[in-house]
Amino acid sequence: MVLVLAIGDLHIPHRAPDLPPKFKSMLVPGKIQHIICTGNLCIEEVHDYFKTLCPDLHITRGEYDEDSRYPENKTLTIGQFKLGICHGHQVIPWGDLDSLAMVQRQLDVDILVTGHTHQFKAYKHEGGVVINPGSATGAYSSFTYDVNPSFVLMDIDGLRVVVYVYELIDGEVKVDKIDFKKTATASAH
Amino acid sequence: MAKERIPDWLNSSLWSTTPSVDDRLHRFSLSPTTTTTTAAAAVSEPIVQPTVPVSPPAAASRPQYTVTSQKYEFRDPIDKNSNNNSNDNDQNASPSGVSPDDISRQAQLLAELSKKVVNFRELRRIASQGIPDGAGIRSTVWKLLLGYLPPDRLQWSSELAKKRSEYKQFKEELLMNPTEITRKLEKSAVDDHSKSESSGLLSRSQVTHGEHPLSLGESSIWNQFFQDTEIIEQIDRDVKRTHPDMQFFSGDLPLAKSNQDALKDILIVFAKLNPGIRYVQGMNEILAPLFYVFRNDPDEEMAAAAEADSFFCFVELLSGFRDHFCKQLDNSTVGIRSTISRLSQFLKEHDEELWRHLEITTKVNPQFYAFRWITLLLTQEFNFADSLHIWDTLLSDPEGPLETLLRVCCAMLILVRRRLLAGDFTSNLKLLQNYPSSNISHLLYVANKLRSQASN
Repeated sequence: MVLVLAIGDLHIPHRAPDLPPKFKSMLVPGKIQHIICTGNLCIEEVHDYFKTLCPDLHITRGEYDEDSRYPENKTLTIGQFKLGICHGHQVIPWGDLDSLAMVQRQLDVDILVTGHTHQFKAYKHEGGVVINPGSATGAYSSFTYDVNPSFVLMDIDGLRVVVYVYELIDGEVKVDKIDFKKTATASAH
Repeated sequence: MAKERIPDWLNSSLWSTTPSVDDRLHRFSLSPTTTTTTAAAAVSEPIVQPTVPVSPPAAASRPQYTVTSQKYEFRDPIDKNSNNNSNDNDQNASPSGVSPDDISRQAQLLAELSKKVVNFRELRRIASQGIPDGAGIRSTVWKLLLGYLPPDRLQWSSELAKKRSEYKQFKEELLMNPTEITRKLEKSAVDDHSKSESSGLLSRSQVTHGEHPLSLGESSIWNQFFQDTEIIEQIDRDVKRTHPDMQFFSGDLPLAKSNQDALKDILIVFAKLNPGIRYVQGMNEILAPLFYVFRNDPDEEMAAAAEADSFFCFVELLSGFRDHFCKQLDNSTVGIRSTISRLSQFLKEHDEELWRHLEITTKVNPQFYAFRWITLLLTQEFNFADSLHIWDTLLSDPEGPLETLLRVCCAMLILVRRRLLAGDFTSNLKLLQNYPSSNISHLLYVANKLRSQASN
C-alpha cells in the first residue's frame, strides 16, 4: 500500500498565490510515501513545501520553472509499476493523447504522469495509462481560464492501482476514484 | 502439608542464591524420580487426558533429597543422595524450592490437573507455593488461574478452539490495511469488471462512503490507520527492546523474530480493541512472561496456539491493573498514585521504623521505586526465572494479584531494611532501583507472613 501524490502546474507566485486552503489542510506529512511533480511550481519555496510533505520528491521541468536543474523527464519504479514523468509542454500538439502515448512508449513505463494542460485526465491505451493531475492551484493555462484546482493521489498495491482524484469544484472538495489493474504482460509494447 | 517452624538464622538473606534461568536445567535438577514423573506426565498429557496421579509410585522408591542441606545451590541431584526421608509430606524445614517439596508439589499439581473438575481452592493453595518448571504445568496452571481454561476439563478443547478462532478473527479484521478494507467493501458493492477497455478515457467512479486516503474525518478508516501507525511504531520499538538478553525474545534467529512478531500482533490487536487505553509502554513487559511460558509448553498444540492464548490471558491479567496505565487516572482513587500510597501505608503498618526512615528522614518518595515495581509486576526487578516464580504466587493467591503484589513489595523493603536504615537518600534510591537479587522463596515466605500478621 504505497501512496503516491501526483501534483503540478501550480504556477506560484506568477499565476496563483498558494494552494487552496482546503487542499492544504488535507496534505499533511506522514501519509504520503512519494511525490511526483509534473513541473511549473515555479519557485523554490514550493519545492521546500513539498519536501516537508514527503522526502521522496521527483520533479520534472516545466517551461516556467525557475530552477533549471530539474530534468526534462524522469522514470521511477514503485512496487510493480514503472512510472514516468514529463511536463508535457515539449510534446506537440499539447495534450494530444497519441503523442503522449509515443512518449510513454519511449520511456517504457506503465503510467505516464504529465501536465501542462491544467485539465485532469486519465486515459488508457495499449501501452499503459496516462494521468494528468491538472493544476493544483487552478492557475490559468495557455488555452483557458476555466480551470478547477485538482491533484491526484495513487494507491499502489501490488498489481492494482486506485487513483483518487481530488478536485475543488465550487469551493468544495470532490473526490473520485479510478481503479485499474496491470496485467502481468502489459508492460509497454 | 505441614511446615515446621523455621529458625530465624535460616531465613537470613545470607543463604540466598539465584537459581539458574535455564529451564532445561530446572527440569533435570529435581531428583531422578521427578524426571520419571516428568516423563510420565509428558506421555500422559495432563492437559488433555485424565492421568493416574503419579504420586504413589513416586513416593515408594526414590532417593530423597537430603534434608539437612538447606542451601539452595544448584543441584546435581543424581549424585547427591542421602537418607531417605519417607514420603511426600515435606518434613524438612526448607521454606520451599528444594526437591522434596518440588516433587510433591508437582505430583499434587498433576493430580489436581488431571481431575475432571479442577478444584480452584486446592489449585491456588498448591500453586502459591511455587510451580515447578517442568512438564508444561505452569502453562496450564496459569491458564486456569487466569480464567482462560474452565474448571471442567471436558470443556477445555471446545473453549480453546472457540477462543483461538476468535483471536484469528480479530487479527484478520484489525490488522488489514485500508486498501484491503476498501477493496473488500467494494467487492460487495460492485463486481470486479476486469474487462479492460482497450483504449479511452478511464471511467471515474464515486468514492464509497467518502473514504479517501487524505480524509480527515474521525470515522475514516484511512485517518484511523494513520493514527494507528504511530502506536504501531511505538509497539514495534518496545517489542524490540523486550528482554534483550534472552535468545527467545531478541537475537537474529528466526525464532526470535517470529516471537517478536507474535508479541507485536497481540499488542496491536489489544490496542485496537481498547481505544480507551491503547498501548502504553510497559505492557510488553507484562505480556512477555505469559507468552514465554505458553510458547515453551512441551505440548505442541498448546505451544502453537501460544499467541492466541497469551492474548486472552494478557487481557485478563491486565484487567486488574488497567488503571495503572491510564494517565488520566493517575491521581484518582484507583490510579497508580493511590496504589503506591497504599504500599506506603502497608509498610507503615508493618515496619514503622523503616517507613519513617525512608519517607521522612531520607525523603525517598515511594514513587521513585515503587512505580516500576507495581506497574510492571516486578518483571524488571528480578531475573526472568525469579519473576516467573513471583508471578506464580501473584496469580494464585486468593486475595488477588494486586494485594499480593503490595505484600511482596513490602516484603522486598523489609528484607533489605538493614541497608535501608543505614543509608541516605542516594544509596537507598540506588538500592531500591536496582534491587539486589535474593532468594525468591524467602521473599515470598516473608510476604506470606505479612498477610497473616495483618489479619491478626
